[in-house]
Amino acid sequence: MGDIEKIAASVASLQESFEAHNYICSDQIATAVFLAYQLRKPILIEGPPGVGKTELAKTAAEMFALPLIRLQCYEGLDESKAIYEWKYGKQLLYTQVLKEALDEVLQGAKGFTESVKRLHEFGDIFFSEEFLEPRPLLKALKEENGCVLLIDEIDKADNEFESLLLEILSDYQVSIPEIGTVKALAEPPMVFLTSNNTREISDALKRRCLHLYIPFPDADIEQRIVAARIPEIPPELQRQLVAFIHELRTMDLKKQPAISETIDWARTLVLLHAEALDPKLVTDTLNVILKFQEDIENVTTEVSSITARITK
Amino acid sequence: MTMDRTISNFIRALRNADVRVSTAETLDALGAVELVGYRDKAYLKRSLATVLPKTVDEKDTFDACFDQFFDFQDVRGEQSDSELSGDQSEEQDGEEGESGDGEGGGSSGEAPKGKKKKSKSKAKKNNLYEEEEEADLGPGEITDPKSALGQLLMANDRVELSMAMGAAGEETNVRDIKIFTQKGLYSRRIMDAMGLPDLNREIGDLRTSPQVPARRLGQQLKARRDFLREQVRDYVEKQFLLNADVTGKRLREELLRKVKLSNVEHRNFRLIQEIVYKMAKKLSALHSRRKKIYKRGALNVPRTLRHNMSYDGAIFDLHWKSVKVDRPKVFAICDVSGSVANYARFMLMFLYSLDEVMPKVRSFAFSSDLAEVTELFNRNKIEDAIAKTLRDYGGGSTDYGQALLDFKKNCLDDVDNRTTIIILGDARNNHGEAHAEVLKEIYDRSKRVIWLNPEAKLAWNTGDSEMRKYGAYSHQVEECNSLMHLERVVGNLLKQIA
Repeated sequence: MGDIEKIAASVASLQESFEAHNYICSDQIATAVFLAYQLRKPILIEGPPGVGKTELAKTAAEMFALPLIRLQCYEGLDESKAIYEWKYGKQLLYTQVLKEALDEVLQGAKGFTESVKRLHEFGDIFFSEEFLEPRPLLKALKEENGCVLLIDEIDKADNEFESLLLEILSDYQVSIPEIGTVKALAEPPMVFLTSNNTREISDALKRRCLHLYIPFPDADIEQRIVAARIPEIPPELQRQLVAFIHELRTMDLKKQPAISETIDWARTLVLLHAEALDPKLVTDTLNVILKFQEDIENVTTEVSSITARITK
Repeated sequence: MTMDRTISNFIRALRNADVRVSTAETLDALGAVELVGYRDKAYLKRSLATVLPKTVDEKDTFDACFDQFFDFQDVRGEQSDSELSGDQSEEQDGEEGESGDGEGGGSSGEAPKGKKKKSKSKAKKNNLYEEEEEADLGPGEITDPKSALGQLLMANDRVELSMAMGAAGEETNVRDIKIFTQKGLYSRRIMDAMGLPDLNREIGDLRTSPQVPARRLGQQLKARRDFLREQVRDYVEKQFLLNADVTGKRLREELLRKVKLSNVEHRNFRLIQEIVYKMAKKLSALHSRRKKIYKRGALNVPRTLRHNMSYDGAIFDLHWKSVKVDRPKVFAICDVSGSVANYARFMLMFLYSLDEVMPKVRSFAFSSDLAEVTELFNRNKIEDAIAKTLRDYGGGSTDYGQALLDFKKNCLDDVDNRTTIIILGDARNNHGEAHAEVLKEIYDRSKRVIWLNPEAKLAWNTGDSEMRKYGAYSHQVEECNSLMHLERVVGNLLKQIA
């Protein structure tokens, strides 16, 4: 615990610590995590795909040495998958077993009223924690030393699911009708939500979260990211590669290459023992950074001029 | 306490600039400020940027607002003490009031921003000297000013001066400032209320005076008057930022909603676009709770078992896996010839801004021949797609008959009883063949045909307009020539297709 507090004591120490875990982050990102920890607020992270939104949560978990609990959202996700579910198989089995024992329980009971009364005495057993299957959200609340809860791609879930999240996001608790309210133990989870902006997130949810927008990084930070992830890359190649990617991002492409593509490409080039970019090498490996045939065709015609520009 | 005031003022400015900030977020902002403090401005900005604005657009607005707002605070605080020290240095070297002023600002300055601004204003003053090629009168004695404002300026008491400015502001009701064009007006009124006419007269007299000390005073007063003017402008600017910006904008928006779309000037397109998005968002919010239609599918075993637990495992309440019925379709057919192009632009913008709640939209453009532009819209930004559509397909002479025939040939097969077809056009066919029978065919097959005519109802059926023929085969015919009409039509549309 002390460790977490030490790391999250200031923006600078957070940044340092992230860097030690190979996650190079901008001031803005570090500030957001700092505030999230200090104010005990969830962070909603938005940005184009592949800029390290999910990675941020994963790294945070690693850095704070907390378990990471991940909830992947998709259309049709509901409370039985996200919060809790009754172990109906077990319940069914027990009912069958108890059928036999029913006679014993009811033995000596006089009249209907008394029988019902006796049955009531253990009627609630079937809906107790014993039969409760916790799903990610409930699990996160039950972690004793706190955890990092990652609710990934919240925009993929339905609108209704957002409302389901409101309780846990603002009060770190969930209500289960049969049991009551489950509150987070001593340390509430650190919650990260990510969104790719395929739809607008509701205001109610946004109001409860800090908002962090991660754009494509500037060349300087991206170079450091590449260097951190692939230390064996020659410095000159690293500079050219990042410059090339940045040129691509200014073009009209169906899908712009993100950081993950930059890293993949760097890895590819290192495997090919490249020392510097040349048009042929770029053309041959273009399919690593561009995911649409049309984009590849568009860029192929420009490759030599871009390479010339950045290698001069 | 004062810190809290700063934040709540800032939030007021943000709200004015259309960033939605709730009370809960205000509290968060206060919490963040408590942690972060005011010392490091960039840090404060980064922190507030995660707490207050919640979309990318809002972040842009926030950046601008923050810079404007806090820059201001700085300069004001900064200038008051730089001025004081300038005052001292001036007393020491007597005449060189202006340069002494600047140096004083430099030595006591802390925030670099404030310093920059300061030196800028100084440079301006120097320029002024150059332009007018003022004779350097050198140091020496100065006569005393006679006008009240002149005395105030020469006394160089910042507190007095800003108090006078505030009082003049109250007097002229600067708080009522509504639109940005009023800034100049209010600045002048405040200056007048502070006694500018007297000062101007005095300066005029002094500058023509034969005595050197009097001329010296004239120069001094003139420079200080310019400085004061800048101060007043800043003051008004801030009042405007706090009080009015949004009111003015709302006023314009209100007007634009009602104005005929063909009359919208090009410079207002951006604002219109914003309004369209806003309206679209409102409609989205209204209709996103649309009921989902489910179709029964295979038996959902776990669910069935679970729900039958209470019946001792006897299964009699069945639950089914459901399949969502796919969304209905909307076809938009737009006349993009010269007369109607502008309407088409905004309708397409509206339809595509609604993609969250609107079913799949396929769009077609024609002036004489019809072409599908759906692909264009899927691949480009809305604005670009619209521009390209108008460029490529607009400009010919209108032929509704041909367009309908083309539509029949290409995609009548895709029209079914879940399809809504919106046709936007003035139905002016240049006396060509109307081919209303084709529209009848479409009418029979589709769920709805809606004809939107941008002309006023009175003008329908006059001249070469074929509205009567086409109207017969439309489920609904509407006049549609302003954003308000558009909003109503699209709102109804959403209700019907839901």
